[in-house]
Amino acid sequence: MLSIGTTRRAQRGMLREWRLHALSVFSLAVAFVCLGAALLVVTNLRAVEDRWAHAGRVSVYLKDSISTPDVEALKSALTATAGVKSVRYISSGQARQDFAQTEKKNLAGLSQEAFPSSIEVEVQPDMADAELTEMVTKLEKLPGVDEIETYQAWTDRLARLVRGGVAASGILALVVFASVLAVVGSTIRLALQRRRTEVEVLKLVGATDRFIKGPFLVEGSAQGAMGAMGALALLATLFFLVKGRLDGELSSLIGVEPSFLPWPIALGMVGVGAVLGALAALLGLRRLVAV
Amino acid sequence: MPRFDDQDDAQESRAFRPLLRQGPRFARDAAARPILMFEDVYKSYRPGAPVLRGMNLVIERGEFVFITGPSGSGKSTLLRLLYRSETVDEGRILFMGRDIARLKDDSVPFLRRNIGVIFQDFKLVKTWSVFENVAITLEVLGLPQRLIKARVGEALERVGLAGRGSDAAGVLSGGEQQRVAVARAIVGEPALILADEPTGNLDPQLAIDILGLFEEIHESGTTVLFATHDRSLLDVRSRRLIVLDEGKAMDVAMGIAPAEEGYDNELPL
Repeated sequence: MLSIGTTRRAQRGMLREWRLHALSVFSLAVAFVCLGAALLVVTNLRAVEDRWAHAGRVSVYLKDSISTPDVEALKSALTATAGVKSVRYISSGQARQDFAQTEKKNLAGLSQEAFPSSIEVEVQPDMADAELTEMVTKLEKLPGVDEIETYQAWTDRLARLVRGGVAASGILALVVFASVLAVVGSTIRLALQRRRTEVEVLKLVGATDRFIKGPFLVEGSAQGAMGAMGALALLATLFFLVKGRLDGELSSLIGVEPSFLPWPIALGMVGVGAVLGALAALLGLRRLVAV
Repeated sequence: MPRFDDQDDAQESRAFRPLLRQGPRFARDAAARPILMFEDVYKSYRPGAPVLRGMNLVIERGEFVFITGPSGSGKSTLLRLLYRSETVDEGRILFMGRDIARLKDDSVPFLRRNIGVIFQDFKLVKTWSVFENVAITLEVLGLPQRLIKARVGEALERVGLAGRGSDAAGVLSGGEQQRVAVARAIVGEPALILADEPTGNLDPQLAIDILGLFEEIHESGTTVLFATHDRSLLDVRSRRLIVLDEGKAMDVAMGIAPAEEGYDNELPL
């Protein structure tokens, strides 16, 4: 197990060859930044997907020919439907006015058909997809209803994007793992070469291979963990810098407040870095100096 | 921790008492046997050119033995076989009754904890301090830091380097570096000290000083094997002398005669 002596010898080794270790940590940090950035994007995309998947909104666009009593009847029927929170009728004129206010544009050139009247239905966020689909199917059959928008297509596209992001992150993770193994393995082999006399002396005074390897494993592990921590620090700095500059614009655009990597993922990155670093060191130490 | 039986008779030997550390298969009766026995040992690095050819040798506990011979005669090989840096091709080497050649690889560190080795090139870690270079022997044994400090201090005092613990090993003179190497070898109180041309890089006066150091260590009960081809050292003290020639050990009791009395004719040096 990890003893104080092993840690102390590892610390001594790292301090004496700090340039070599710093270079290794920097290389690992660059690799981990790529992985961290991908995870950051995926995390936020997933939050956006989650937000819109549970937006709880249905826009029921009405035909121009629908009469006011039919609209009222439809509103009443929707209000009475289980899972519906509220129902609001938006006339064609109001829709035009709302859009003009939001976009601050002159809409004189647009025809009346561009802004159909609609009923905006707010459903419970926990309403099951099957229930929503059933309600939409029933609504579509009504004669006054022209089209129904559930935003499902948009969230499907977002879900595909998230899946793509996850796949890309997976590939990036493999690349990062390979680079950790290569960088830490090379660093440890180089350190072993530079500390050849030290290893010879240790073997001569009766140190077991475990005793000799211990500090190198700690060094490899520390390099991996420090590389990941460096990457997280760099990403966090950039993230909060960009977030501060964009202020609330980004959140109003995507509908959710962008967030940094959650603690479990951040800690996981550090843990993976530490484990991979130790593994790389172990592989690099397969052949110790023979004495 | 068990001690050699014959150490009880050497109570005047101050603090330095060689100990037999328990390995995986420690045998108490080993203490009664010769510390080293070579039985028909063969060793070659190239086919048809054996360095040792059926060598037989017995070394008793507490002896100081010079091992000499021309270059390539197998002095270093003999020592390397003892600390299991090399393995014999044939024959047995019994260290405290146990066959070194048959030790499993994971038992070799335990063998080495009973042997202190000193080299011509000192084999110090130059970037470490004097203290660290000596203390590593005890750190390997897992002793507590307080004890390590005390015992390293004693060892440095014995080799005349008291108060030099914080100096970097790399800045010391050759003689001082060899003293550090000696301190590292004795600090663990090994049963056997192997010195492979320890004075080869030192001037004659320093060489005699270092030899004196080994004699002090020997006086405290440790068995010392001192490999050298420096004839002047062999003349300093009358000791048991083993001459290696043509792969065999020739025992020349009580030292050798000076060169002017036919030394060159008698010994293949």
